[in-house]
Order: sequence, then C-alpha cells, then structure tokens
Amino acid sequence: MSSNGDPGYGTHPLPGPPPQAGEGNSLRSRQNLPPPSRGRAGVGAADARGSRETVVAAAVLVLVLVGVPWLNPGYRFLSVAISTGTVAITLYGLALLFGQAGIMSVGHAALMGVGAYTAAILSMRLGMGLWSALPFSMFMAALAAALIGLPALRVSGHHFVIITYAFCTLLAIVLTNGGSFTGGATGLDVEPVGTVLGINMDRLRNYYLLVIAALLASMLATYLISASGYGRTLRSIRENEPLARAVGINTGLHKVGAFMMSGAFAGAAGIFQAYYLRHISPTLYGGLPSLYIAMSVMLGGARTLYGPLGGAIIVNFLPEILNIDPVDSRIAYGAGLVAVILLLPRGMVDGLIGLYRWAARQRA
Amino acid sequence: MEIFVQQLVNSLSMAAIFVLIGIGITLIFGLTGIINFAHGEFLMLGGVFTWLLVSNGVNFFLALIAAIVLVGLVGLLLERAVFRFTLERPMNGFIISLGLSVFIRLWNSYQKSIPSPVEGVWQIGGVRIIAMRAVVVALTAAAVALTFFTISRSRYGLALRASVADLETARLMGIPVRRYVTGVFLYGSALAGLGGALMIALFPITPFVGQDVVVGGFAVALIGGLGNVAGAVVAGTVLGFADGLAAGYGQPEWTEAYSFALMILILLVRPQGLLGGTEGPASV
Repeated sequence: MSSNGDPGYGTHPLPGPPPQAGEGNSLRSRQNLPPPSRGRAGVGAADARGSRETVVAAAVLVLVLVGVPWLNPGYRFLSVAISTGTVAITLYGLALLFGQAGIMSVGHAALMGVGAYTAAILSMRLGMGLWSALPFSMFMAALAAALIGLPALRVSGHHFVIITYAFCTLLAIVLTNGGSFTGGATGLDVEPVGTVLGINMDRLRNYYLLVIAALLASMLATYLISASGYGRTLRSIRENEPLARAVGINTGLHKVGAFMMSGAFAGAAGIFQAYYLRHISPTLYGGLPSLYIAMSVMLGGARTLYGPLGGAIIVNFLPEILNIDPVDSRIAYGAGLVAVILLLPRGMVDGLIGLYRWAARQRA
Repeated sequence: MEIFVQQLVNSLSMAAIFVLIGIGITLIFGLTGIINFAHGEFLMLGGVFTWLLVSNGVNFFLALIAAIVLVGLVGLLLERAVFRFTLERPMNGFIISLGLSVFIRLWNSYQKSIPSPVEGVWQIGGVRIIAMRAVVVALTAAAVALTFFTISRSRYGLALRASVADLETARLMGIPVRRYVTGVFLYGSALAGLGGALMIALFPITPFVGQDVVVGGFAVALIGGLGNVAGAVVAGTVLGFADGLAAGYGQPEWTEAYSFALMILILLVRPQGLLGGTEGPASV
C-alpha cells in the first residue's frame, strides 16, 4: 500500500485501501483495492503544500503544548494536562501496535502498571530516582509484554485481545495480594522527583514541561518508527500476514517485538504517572482503565500522527476541564465510539482535518 | 472426601453461569469473528431485569422468562442497529462492543438482590445440596441440551455449522448467512439473559458484574476452542470446578488467578483450545 513512499502517517489520507479502523484482514478489502490516488493538483504541488502544512501543524502543536504554562492556566488545568500527557504516551505505544501492526491490545493499563510499580519498588528498596529507574520501567514493561505476547500471539489476534484483558485482571490480583512488596490494595507511595539539572521538578509547571517533552519524544519516535523500514514490515503484517510470511518476514518475531516496543512506551508512561501521582494502587491499572486506553486510541485514530493525542484530550482532558458528569461522559464515549467506528473509521482527528480541508476548498 | 464432593457440587452452579455465557461468546465468535465484550453486560441486564420484575411482585420464573426475552431483544436490536455494519471487519465489531460495554452500564452501582425463589436444602449422604443451585444446574443443563440438539440434529444447526466452517461456500449454497448472524446474536444474548437471571437468584449482583463475568466467559471460550460449543461446555465445567476447588482449598483471594493461569497453561500446550476451534471467518 505504500506505493508512493507514504510512511503511513501524516495528516493527509493514505493512498490505497478504503478507510478502515480495524485490521485489514477481510478478503474483500484486499480484492477491491482502488488504484493509488495521486494528488488533485498534480503530485509535486500537492506534496509541497502537504509537507508545508505538516511542518506548520507540528510547529503550532509544539508551541501550544510548550506555551501552556505561561498562559496562567491554573493548578487544576496543569494537573489534568499532566495526567492526559502520561496517558497519551501510552496511547502512542498502542497506536504503533494497532495502527501499524494491526494488533489490538486491551492490556495497556496493566503495562503502565508494571512500569509504575517497577519505579515505586526501585525507589522504595534501592532509593533510585526517576531517571535511573526509567530504563528499568521500560524494560520491565517490555518484558511483561514479551511474556504475554509469546503464548498469545502464537495463535491469533482474537486470543491476544482476550489474553491481554485477562492479564489486566491477573495483574490487579497479584498487586492486591502482593503483601508489603506491592503495598496490597492501598498501593505504594512514590518519592518526589527532586531536582534535575538544577530545575526543581516538584514544581507543577516544570513537571508539565517534562511530561510534554516525553510526549513529544514519543510522538517523534512513533513517526520515525512508522516511516522506517521496520514500520513497513509491521504494516505488511497488518495488511496480509500470510503474504508477509511468504516473502520471508518472521511475523511471529515482529509481532512480539512490536508488542514489546509498545510495552516500553507504556512503561515510560507508567513511571511518569507514578512520579506525578506520588501514590499508586492496583485499581489504576485494572481492566477498566485498559478499556479506556483502547477506546481513546480508536476515538482519536490509531493511524494518524495526531490521533492518539486527540483521543487522550477527548477522553481524559475535556471532561475534567468542562466538568462533565462522569456517567454522562461515559455514555458519551460509548455512543461516540460506536459512531466513530461506523462513520469516521480513521478517527476523530482525521475527521476534523477532513472538515478543515473541506472548508478550505469551499472558500477557495 | 465428603468435603471434596461438597465443593464439586457447590462449584457446579458457578460452572453453569460460565457455560451459559461461554456458549454465547463462542457462538457469536464462530460465526462472525466478533469478540463480544458487551456479552457480560447482557448477563448484567438479565439480572437487572429480573430484579426489577421480582421486586415489583412478579413471580421469579415468569421474570426469568421475561429476562430471557428482553435480553434476547436487546441482542437482536444491537445486531440490527450496530454490529451488522461491522461484519466486514470483526475487529471493529470488537471495538464497538467495548463502547457498548461502558455504555450499557447505566444503572447506579448499588448491589441488587432478590429473595431466593426456591427454598430448601437436600441432604444426600453427607452432601448438602441447596435447592436453588440444583434448579440453576437443571435449567442450564436444559439450555445446553437444547443448544446441542439444535446444532447437531436440526437443519438450522446444520446450516449454522456449514456457515461456521466456510462462510462463502455456505452462502453460495443458498444459506441465508446474514439471518444466521442475527439469530446467533439473539440466541447468545438470550442465554446471557438466562445466566443473569440465574445469577441474581444465587447471589447479589452489581452493575459491574458484567466486567468480571465476561473475562470468565472469554476464558471458557478460549479454553474450549473459539467457536466450539461443546468445548465451551467442557471448559465452563472445568473452570467452575477449578474456581470452586481453589476457593475451598487454595487461598480464596487468588481464586480468579487460578483460572487465568489454567487458561494460559492450556493455551501454551494446546493453542487451539481443548476441543479445537476456528480462527473466525475470513470475511462475511
């Protein structure tokens, strides 16, 4: 499907198969491939305009995200923004897994939990801080992903979905019964971050900037991975696994690898969340948070670069800031998710971009 | 020995609930490839409907029938309104069921319970059998027998098995596959409704029960082999026993962990499940 070198990400719709959100494993979708579309105004012109728009959009996004603390947003705004940012890092991991390799997981909150608990235990037993614990958190989450992925990905995507959900429930049980090592149902306290490079990270604004830096790094990583040859390999598995295997791609290895990579994102998100909350407990990482993570990715759109961020903002940020009743917002997500899958299979962010382009065309 | 038998007897009623929900999940998966996350909510709805009716003075068994019908209708409605648009891409159906499962949980979170509709305890040897649990097992056995008879003996069951085995060919042979998809959703959710009604007769439920039960249902469907009804019955019974024995002999706080460990072990040894399953249809 990458016939004209499209990295599989970007603000413009991909050429190739019709829009879709799920795996492209249906026979029909492979048979009715439309011819690759060229830009409306000729290839060169469209590409030049497209890349300029992409650069401008990225610059505006970075400016807005970094500039927020100087607009006097208030304590609550910044706190909600930090927790949204940590979740968004996980969402980028899941978007790599689902958007690129076509593997859906409903266990990403548990992987975050592995990262968070690794950090908390290392801090408690060995006195390690955020920076020295970060690689361990990412490694442990990737290791947990490998342990789940090895038996589950051997069979099919369906088994994988179920096993990842079971893993969430299992992890919650293990953490609750872990005694003083995991703090049982009450959980563990986490030390404050302290000072990094002379900057006091316990100030909310500085921690916000730290999380935003991590978020931008994970967005960049997602972009680079999906634009690389490895991203192409993963997309070939998504589009047609038997064919990918037939041309010599070790699909089993790459599926587990993609899940581990995705787990490392979740582990990093977990440690940033743990150091922000300063107290973690098993309920943060059970089945329901995992479902919300999966829903956020689908709402925002797993295959667009800004989709996961949009999903995190829609699910975590807006309801808090607009003071929407949790029951109302839950109903809205459920209904919204159904509507997005049926009407905007590429996600809400892509829908908004499409609306913008349509409006621009009308004006021109 | 008597205690052991007692534990087995006690765990039969939990096994019955697992079997009822597992059959629905596995049937829907076998024909459509959709992992229905909302299936646990169907069970919860069955329990809540029963609770609503019984607390308004309706006889339990009438309420049970009403719950089966109502939940069946909910399943039918959702298939017609939502799931039929996702048959091309089962993964989308799964994601929609995620949305539905948070959407359906509308009730307040109070525990709901009804007085036990059948009182009495029988004593056989040293084993005490609670009458209500016997009723649960008997009704489940009847539902399972009906399912088996329909699937293995009737022409509808034959057409269903043909569609699960090869959807395109079945359609070319003139089997109205889409109608069977609707039928499977109707039947699967009706079974979940029965499960919910029976569950609230045994113990109090909360609106969050669906989330816990659906994991058990998934485990049953996976262990038995996705799409395999006989497998679901066997696996549900095994899991029910494992649950009961773990609660009786192991540490009760680890009960759920045992069933997942069992699931992962079985998947390591037999990835297709105990009795073998399908990978789901390539397309509908």
